Amino acid sequence: MSTLVFIPAWNEEASIASVIAGVRRALPDADLLVVDDGSVDATAARALEAGARVASLPFNQGLGAALQTGYLYALRNGYDYCAHLDADGQHPPAEVARLLAEVTEDRADLAIGSRYRDPGAAEEDDYRPSVSRRIGTGVFRFFLTLATRQRFTDTTSGMRAANRRVMTLFGERYSPDFAELESLQRAVRQGLRVEELPVRMLPRREGHSFLTPLRSAFFIFKSVIVLLVGQFRPRSAELGDDR
Amino acid sequence: MSFLAAATEPTVKLTPQARILAAAIALVFMAMILELIRRHRLQERYSVIWFVAGLGMLAGATFPDLLEVVADAMGVRDTNVALFSLVLLLLLGLALNFSVIVSRQAEQITRLAQERAIESARANGAGLDARGDGAGGSAAERPAEPGGERL
Repeated sequence: MSTLVFIPAWNEEASIASVIAGVRRALPDADLLVVDDGSVDATAARALEAGARVASLPFNQGLGAALQTGYLYALRNGYDYCAHLDADGQHPPAEVARLLAEVTEDRADLAIGSRYRDPGAAEEDDYRPSVSRRIGTGVFRFFLTLATRQRFTDTTSGMRAANRRVMTLFGERYSPDFAELESLQRAVRQGLRVEELPVRMLPRREGHSFLTPLRSAFFIFKSVIVLLVGQFRPRSAELGDDR
Repeated sequence: MSFLAAATEPTVKLTPQARILAAAIALVFMAMILELIRRHRLQERYSVIWFVAGLGMLAGATFPDLLEVVADAMGVRDTNVALFSLVLLLLLGLALNFSVIVSRQAEQITRLAQERAIESARANGAGLDARGDGAGGSAAERPAEPGGERL
């Protein structure tokens, strides 16, 4: 049994080393890969110094492409399981270990960390989203639940663990723009067991969210279209022999 | 058509100058496309649609009556409107065609970048192995990595 933990990183030189160290402590047996998404700072150098393998995309391709690189790497190198977390220090590595346990013990094909412990009590939680983010989260939840008939609370979570079925599906095709939503929809439609686990998340240490209200609106609009189109894709056609 | 022409103003009549000009432009246009292909600045597969457009222009200039036939078939009284609608539709289709091509190529570029990234990870991963320091993790994990050579 072998596990790869990969970390998509774009200009995260300040936090990448501590994230790598945290993952090593929490998951000493896992291999580590940093997918450097065309960073212009010293992200790749810091990651190498910290002892991780680094897959460097020659130019910035977006989170979806970076994640797919990780899934492809895991698939090609014969890993049984893989997991990924954000490079900005929001995701405690110990929680990644919990997600991996769900997958290795075969309770799920894809496990997702949700920052909303209890969907109703998001406000009281230690995580406090901005207004535009809360609206977006609500819209995504509504449409994704509608599309999959399965309850999701944290639709854009970047903390996941997966087995080889999921690697095959995501390695094949992964939307570069609307990575999280569409991938969840596809996984459910392919009949994979997708499970959401409540996890603790930390406030962002470095940098700030890219979302402005206008961008959020555009992002929501695009995502709804993507989900709509996704509903008309054939089921169970993509996994082929692997299932 | 003759009864229509009798009833209304005669539809657009191109003057000989206009017809010669249109035909000349069409010919120059097609020559330009050939030249672009010859210099490898335009691939053959993307040139077909432009040739068709050039031929259409030439046909319109040579046989102006053709336009009236088309307008009649469309049920449009004004030949000019028919002409502009057709050209607009053609341009719209072309623009969409380009978006499709751009999307496909963006996908190919992404995949190319990913393949290159995976290669680079193998290269610096081999460096980690050669140092044999376990790269900060447990010493046992490196040799245990499965299928590292399968890539």
